Formats: sequence, C-alpha cells, structure tokens
Amino acid sequence: MNAAAQSAARVASPVSGENIVRVYVWEWPVRIAHWVIFLSIVVLSFTGYYLYDPFIISRGHDAFVMGTMRFIHEVTGFTFIAAFLLRLYWFFKGNRWARWRQFLLVDPEQWRGARNMLRYYLFLRRQPESRVGHNPLAGATYATIYTFIFIEVLTGLALFNHVRHSAVLGFFIGWLPSLIGIQYLREIHFLIMFILVAFFVHHIYSAWLMSIEERSGLMGSIFSGYKNLPADFLAADPASRHEREFPIVGPGWAYWRHRGKTHGQKSTAAGSRSGTSGR
Amino acid sequence: MPPFEQDLPSALERQGVSRRDFLEFCSLMVATLALPTRYLDKVVAALSQPQKPVLVWLEFQDCAGNTESMLRSSHPPVADVVLDLLSWEYHETIMAGAGKQAEASLQRVVKEEKGKYIAIVEGAIPTADDGVYCTIAGRTALDIAREVCSNSAANIAVGACAWDGGLVRANPNPTGALGLQEAVPGVPVVNLGGCPHNVANTAAVLVHYLTFHEMPALDQYNRPLFAYGAIIHDQCERRAHYDAGRFVEEWGDEGSRKGWCLYKMGCKGPLATYNCPSVRWNDGTSWPVKAGHGCIACAAHRFWDWSSPFYKRLPKVPGFGVDVTAENIGWGVVGAVAGVTAVHAVGSIIRGNVSKLDSQKEGRSKEGSKPASPEA
Repeated sequence: MNAAAQSAARVASPVSGENIVRVYVWEWPVRIAHWVIFLSIVVLSFTGYYLYDPFIISRGHDAFVMGTMRFIHEVTGFTFIAAFLLRLYWFFKGNRWARWRQFLLVDPEQWRGARNMLRYYLFLRRQPESRVGHNPLAGATYATIYTFIFIEVLTGLALFNHVRHSAVLGFFIGWLPSLIGIQYLREIHFLIMFILVAFFVHHIYSAWLMSIEERSGLMGSIFSGYKNLPADFLAADPASRHEREFPIVGPGWAYWRHRGKTHGQKSTAAGSRSGTSGR
Repeated sequence: MPPFEQDLPSALERQGVSRRDFLEFCSLMVATLALPTRYLDKVVAALSQPQKPVLVWLEFQDCAGNTESMLRSSHPPVADVVLDLLSWEYHETIMAGAGKQAEASLQRVVKEEKGKYIAIVEGAIPTADDGVYCTIAGRTALDIAREVCSNSAANIAVGACAWDGGLVRANPNPTGALGLQEAVPGVPVVNLGGCPHNVANTAAVLVHYLTFHEMPALDQYNRPLFAYGAIIHDQCERRAHYDAGRFVEEWGDEGSRKGWCLYKMGCKGPLATYNCPSVRWNDGTSWPVKAGHGCIACAAHRFWDWSSPFYKRLPKVPGFGVDVTAENIGWGVVGAVAGVTAVHAVGSIIRGNVSKLDSQKEGRSKEGSKPASPEA
C-alpha cells in the first residue's frame, strides 16, 4: 500500500499542508445542465401542481390563469428536455468525471466505494468514500434520478401529444398511451414530481455534508467548476482510467482495454494507477 | 317491418317521413362524417337506391342500452331511416320471432348472405370457462360471434362492452369478458365506444358504408376518426372557464351555478376523445358537461378501470387504501426523506463532535487514526 493509495481514500483536507491543486471538475455544459434542470424543476413542480389542483380561482373577465400555467409548464418542459439532452450528450463527450461510467456501478472498485459510502451514511464508517468527481453511491443515485427524469420526459411528452396530436411526436411516444392509460400516465408524471422534490431535499443535505467532510470547495464547484484537491489524491483518481474510453461500445471495450493495460503496463502503472493495484 | 321493393324515400314517405326529413337526415350524416357539403348529393343518391343490405344485431353480455339508444332516438328521421335503410333480419330484443324461429333466421343469413351482411355486436363476450357465462340457444357467445363475424362483410362493435369489454370486463372481471376484437381476433371491426354508443355516429358509419362501400378512416383503436378524433376538452363550451382558471369546487357552489369548468370535480374531458359536445344526445339537446356533470370518459379505452374514480382528478394508486390519494403518497415520500435527513443531520453533528474529541485525545490535528485504504 503506497502513499498515494492511502490519500485517495483519506479525507482530502487543505489543512494537512499537502500540495493542493485547483482542478476543473465540472465543465460548463455540466453546470449549465445542472442549473437549468434545477430551475425548471422548480417551475415545473409549481405549475404542474397547479395543473393537478388549480388552487387559484380567478374571477376577472380577462383572467387566463390556467392557460398561462399550462403555457409556462410546456415551455419549461421543453427547456428541461433540452438541458437533459445536453447532459446526455455530455455523458459521452465530457471529461472523466462527467462520463457515463461515473454513474453506473460497472467496476468492482465502484461497488466497493458505494458500499463504503452507504456504510458511512449508516454511521458504520467514519470517513466518506471521496472521489474527485461523484462518489460511486452518488453516481448511482444520479443514474436513478436521471431514469426518473427520463420517465417524466416520456410521460410528459405523451400527455402533451394527447393534446397536440403531432405526427412526429406520435411516432416516438405514440406507443405509450396505448400501453398505459392516459390517467395513469398523469399519475406517474405527478408521483415522480414528489420523488424529484424528495431528492432535492436529500441532495442539498448530502452536498452540504460532503462539503464539510471533504473541504474541497464542493458547494462552490457547481458554480465555478473548480475543486481544491491534493495533487496525489487527483493522481490516484480511479476515474482516470475512463478518460478516453470509446463510449458506445462500453463495457466490452473497457474490458479489452483493461486487460491490455494490466499485461502491458503493470510495472509502470504502479504509481499513477494505484487505485486498482491495491485490489 | 313491411317489405318494400321501391326506393327508400318513397317507402319512408309512406310511413310519414317526408322528403324534407330525409334530406335533413342526409345533411346530418354528411355533417357528422365531417364531409364537405358536395358529398350530400352522393349520399342522397346512394341512399335512394333500392339496396337493402342485410343486418344482424347480436347481443351478448350487456344491458341493452345500445339498443335502447338506437330505438329511442326520438327525432323521426334518424330512427326511421336507419331502421329502414337496412334489412334487419335478426335482433333478439326487437324481432317478432322467438326461439328456434329466430335462430333459424340468423342461420339463414349466415349461410345465404355469406360475405354480404353487416353484423352489429352489442355487449362483451365472456371467455372464461369456455364462455359458459353467456349462452344463446345453447351456444356460447364466443361461438356465435366467431361464426357470424367471420362470415360478414363488415362488423361494427357498438358501446363500450363490445369494444373493450366495458363494465363487464371491469376489475375483477369474473367472466373473463373481452371486447369483440380481442375475443375474435382477425375479423375486421369498427369500434363505436361510448356508454351507450351515439346513434348519430352509428348511423353515419352505416351511411358511409352504403355510400362509399367501405368503412370510414379509423384510429389506433379502430374507431372512426370523425367521431373519436378530437378531445372533448378541446370542443367543450366550458373550456374558456378552464383557461381562465374559473372552476367549480363543490356541487351547487357559485361556480356550479355560473357554469364554470368541472375540472376540479373530476371531469375527464381532457382524457376522452369523442364528438359528444357537437353531436350531443336526445337530438342534439344536451350532453353531460352542458347539463352540469363532469365527463366520465365513457368513450375512452377501458374507462371503468382507467378513468375512475369519476369525481377525482387522478386514479387510486394500487396497493394503498381507498382514501389514500397520489398526493398523500407523494407528500409522504417527501416528508419521510425530510425526516430521515433531519435525523441524519443530528447524527452527523454528533459524529463530528465525537471525531473532534477523539482527535484531541490522541493529540492529532487531523483524522487519520484509521487505516485509510479502501479495504478498511
């Protein structure tokens, strides 16, 4: 067990006097997508709740409350889809911490990290399992949330097309209303809103908790994109293996590449890839 | 029905239906079919010819509501013309013959008019236990439907039950009831959903068939687009109140008296597609929303299961109690997560303090007392 591996799992702390580097972790598309998705969820939840239960009863002759709410909901919905698509694109185009592998538990190393993180949350472990980007448990949580968002987008488009009757849209989601009744699509669409609101509560809390634990400028990083991290912690980042991986072929390619590396570079990789050498 | 050899208008005239009434009926049909007015001539010409296709009307698991709806269209032209347009050879409820006599006439049609007659089906078809839950003259409904509907020129399923099983098929569906197109797959069917069907639409389908010798354009459920192509909500006379945000909140409140939108009372107008608001009922007098009651989406697919409860916005979530709404569950999830978070926050603060104490005891400025490898 070398020093780099130890600091990889240790809490990164600027107080320790280690060599702190400023790392550009969250690129602008990640941050833009994050904030557009956040703001549109706020707007969509409010207007969507009004569509479910119109709690404002208007009286004026020129009132257009429900019409306005629906307009805002639909326009924001498409903005939301645009941000979601940008993020999906960045799963394949972004840097190592934005890539799809960060969000799926495809490595034994990630499983171990997620288990340790879960143990941390259950007070069974003192230190969190920190990473430069997302920790594996957070990545898996975001993957779940993205799945819910995807269902929300599908059901939303199906409900929109129930009114719009667009042939193009119908081509893509026309199968959905004949599979699940419109009322149940509404219900799913409505219930997932609460899941997103509940996730919002959890997300704020866990980000706050981690920013205290890690002291790497986590809260600021979603605004600026930068985290302050010890240099050896960065060098030991397990995500560095996924940097230039071809996205579509995915696990098969990763396996092949991984095999090649372990055979060919075993001796030279001890320092830079120590995250795996401890296994 | 007296047999006639001459054309329909003169036969009708003998029964007191004038040429004016006949033309009015033809205009009504052209309008219902959403055809341009130049087709009026074509419809009049087609209906005036002395053609009399044979029609059989099968009743299975049903309440005879569609038959009632057909017979009680009080406007003379609709009832008389539709009844005289075709030669109704078999209809249990209204035919004079009974027993073996009646069944013999059905058999005669199936054999002699093979490939030429029109079959109208009313009611669901039970399939559980070999279909014993509905038998007519010793034969199961499934058996009869298979024979009659596969030898006909066209099949029309009228009402919710014949389309998708309707009330009979509603959960828990003890008799395994299905609509015609599911019970007898493969036969061409035109579905006229609704509880009951609207006679104007059924007549229009028949007129379309007699005029153009084919069925009108259909949607994904094999329902004619002219009748089921538009959402009720988009044709509703109360729609302006919806957009404005003026809603009835309680039966008999101010909004109810003023005719505001029934959305909050569980109206399913935004769900259902039907021409109910334009064709209406009782000779165009009214329809449910006009009369002050929300739409229950009776023309929507499997509406008993999928659009109930009729007075609530969203369906019940399966697996929860009757009084638990989707909203209760949603806020429950949010509350639970918030509660767990609060408890966890307290736990984290305690853990932080304990950590500090540990560090002070050991005289260290920084954590690291534990081995830090991932295997720890």
